[in-house]
Amino acid sequence: MQRYIAVRLAQGLVVILLVSIGTFVMLHVIPGDPVSLMIGQAPASQEQIDLIRKKWGLDRPLPEQYVTWVGRMLLGDFGQSVVRSGMPVRTMIAEAASVTITLNLIAFVISILIAVPAGLFAAVRRYSAFDYAVMVGTTVGVALPNFWIGLMLIVIFSLVLRWLPPFGLGSWQGYVLPVTVIVVGQLALLARLMRSATLDNLGEDFVRTARAKGLRESGVVIRHVVRNALLPIVTVIGYRLAFILSGTIVVETVFAVPGLGMLFVESVNRVDYQVVQAIVMVLSILVILGNLATDLVYGLIDPRIRIG
Amino acid sequence: MSQESGLDKALRELDPTTRREFFRRAAALGITATAANTLFLRNPLIVTAAPSAKQGGMVRVMGHQEVASLSPDDDEPSVQWVMVTQIHNALLEVNEYLVIEKVLAENYTVAKDGLQYTFKLRQGVKWHDGSEFTADDVKYTYEYYMNPANAANKAIRFANVAKVDTPDKSTVVVTMKEPFAPFLVITATEFILNAKYHSRVGEKAYKSRPMGTGPFKLRDWRPAEYTIVDAFDQHFRGRPKIDAFREDVVPEASVRAIALRSGASDSATWPLLAEDNLRFETDPHYVVFRTSSTGVNHFPINNRLPQLADKRVRQAMMHAIDRQRLIDDVFKGTAIIAHSIYPPSMRPWYDRGVKTYAYDQARARSLLEEAGWRMGPGNVRVKDGQRLSFTCAVITGDRARRPEAEIVQQDLAAVGIEMRIVERPVASILAQLSKGELDASLFNWTYNSGATEPDPQSTLKTGGVRNFAGYSNPRMDDLLAQGLREVDVKKRAKIYSEVQKIFVEDVPVLYVMYWDWFNVFTKRIKGLPTKPEEAFAIYRNAYKWWIE
Repeated sequence: MQRYIAVRLAQGLVVILLVSIGTFVMLHVIPGDPVSLMIGQAPASQEQIDLIRKKWGLDRPLPEQYVTWVGRMLLGDFGQSVVRSGMPVRTMIAEAASVTITLNLIAFVISILIAVPAGLFAAVRRYSAFDYAVMVGTTVGVALPNFWIGLMLIVIFSLVLRWLPPFGLGSWQGYVLPVTVIVVGQLALLARLMRSATLDNLGEDFVRTARAKGLRESGVVIRHVVRNALLPIVTVIGYRLAFILSGTIVVETVFAVPGLGMLFVESVNRVDYQVVQAIVMVLSILVILGNLATDLVYGLIDPRIRIG
Repeated sequence: MSQESGLDKALRELDPTTRREFFRRAAALGITATAANTLFLRNPLIVTAAPSAKQGGMVRVMGHQEVASLSPDDDEPSVQWVMVTQIHNALLEVNEYLVIEKVLAENYTVAKDGLQYTFKLRQGVKWHDGSEFTADDVKYTYEYYMNPANAANKAIRFANVAKVDTPDKSTVVVTMKEPFAPFLVITATEFILNAKYHSRVGEKAYKSRPMGTGPFKLRDWRPAEYTIVDAFDQHFRGRPKIDAFREDVVPEASVRAIALRSGASDSATWPLLAEDNLRFETDPHYVVFRTSSTGVNHFPINNRLPQLADKRVRQAMMHAIDRQRLIDDVFKGTAIIAHSIYPPSMRPWYDRGVKTYAYDQARARSLLEEAGWRMGPGNVRVKDGQRLSFTCAVITGDRARRPEAEIVQQDLAAVGIEMRIVERPVASILAQLSKGELDASLFNWTYNSGATEPDPQSTLKTGGVRNFAGYSNPRMDDLLAQGLREVDVKKRAKIYSEVQKIFVEDVPVLYVMYWDWFNVFTKRIKGLPTKPEEAFAIYRNAYKWWIE
């Protein structure tokens, strides 16, 4: 088991190294210059721009810039943003990530609490009115763009009813609308997944056996089916770990939430090298750890899966 | 009715406003400037708030992107300037009527040869930490920006300064290397730093912990979320009437509009969608200021390309584009046709007499024929085997200008010019265009140095940093150099009048329109100007506002 984890971590390091090279090269191959963008329409001379580039070390050869960056990264220094230059990138990411994580964790817990029972019940009572309601509801949830849902919710709850603020996370009321939008999107995915996984399991031999040995239907479902049906849900949770940190860009933009997704997109647009690189690094580390954790949790839920 | 009672009546009609607006109304009543001046001095009501002004409350405004820094050196993005100006003051500041106001300077004199500026500083001005503002602070600020080791963004504004002397605590003498005409509006308007504080904490820390002489001091700064400043009790112009001023970051334009409607915010510093702007304009619960932008909406085109090198081709394109239709169809009438590198609001620099390009496709065709471009296969003109075709890179995801490019594409196709459209990120466009790696693009850019300064050095000079068109005309270069050195406004205006004549004749870029700029305020904010001419300068007056 320990050996397995060590091997997986070593593989992960190689992947991270490759990702770091890939990100660095890609970012620097795209034409564009943060300094030029930052100066904007103000009067400027070439000498002045060169001086500022030098201040940021952007005049150094690329391999040297790469080595400097990786070296600092290993020491825990994520570098410096050219745009938000009064603050280390580490602080920028930590602040933005905490906002995004809070928002997504709340949404995720709510989604699971609703989606798992709903999917399960829909599968057990297949073709019932409830099943149809879940299917239609989730189809609509998947089909509607979250951008549109967000704006409609703002119109209804902020403009017409005036119950909730239209933007910002200044109070608990501020969380209601963004969380709702994320929940609507995830609910659709998770409930459908839970429903189909339950249906698959209900047709399995062990279910017939359990019923044959005289277990009540509720016992069959709760003790045998649910546990197996949760496997795909765990996979999705593992996958979504990195996605949770970067996947709510649209919601963040609509509700003016200062999260990691927004920071990432804005930094890409303004070619803020160190910020983009650092975020990609953090996300790739999370994906690797997330996948490892998923595999380990598999073993706990399903004893048939052996690791080692 | 005597002149004087007429004037008194006019004064009574005025809201708290500035001297400039007063003079304009006075002129309309037929009063001479000197008479008006005397009366103005006797009628201070037009510069101070009405006695009914209420105390307290917080004004909340919205910007569209993060406030990345609060340092004056980073105040180029407008959302940042809106906060920096609450915290800091400059010797001189350009107000919303485009008039230079004396702020930290009580008075100034300019030497005849333009080589020396003497500023008499205001006495009794306090910094946020309670210490006194002196000439040393001014000297420190100038020398900080002049020092190449600091690689400041504002360095170029101080490039012509030779030295700064402080004969006494309240006098600053700036000596120039050579005359620099824009000195008063682009150098003396830079915000002053506190010598002791700034040198102690350093610029990097200063970005998040600024300390100035301004009417508000920093309470809380969350770059991507909001910035709040509190009233500074010891401000030299008196404590602001409001207690606090806050700017929220709200990227989505439609959400900004909803926040204004629901009362969650009082103003949007960055414009809303065109249809929302127009709706607010007709709504009596809002005050909407419509000003002209100084940046021109234009197609920079690479003049070095063989098919675009002949100015007749570029002139033909100006005639081929139906600019009024673009304004009406794409921008719902919220723009005016551009006839120069200056909008008409840029008095005294805009030259009304320059040649204009009317929409005239027949004229466009004959210019192209004259230049030797004959209709070829696929309805694209050809000359010496070269097709009259180029590629325009619009900004990725630019929902406002992409349709504009598509209509222009049709207009040009009608006279036999092919314009292909691709999308590129804005950073790539800016980097590649001036190197000549792109044929053309479409965006708004200032071909001047802001609303009060005409110099287009970086965009039209041969080899200028922002010379997107790769344009080069020795006469233009000459004039631009002269224009910077000429201190006399009348002589300067002549120089820039010729600059405009050459520009419209050469058509280095396809200049299309000047967008109207909208700033919406809720009615509860009082003390706003009557007819401002510069959009962002409105926000430097937050210290005069009150809430009803």
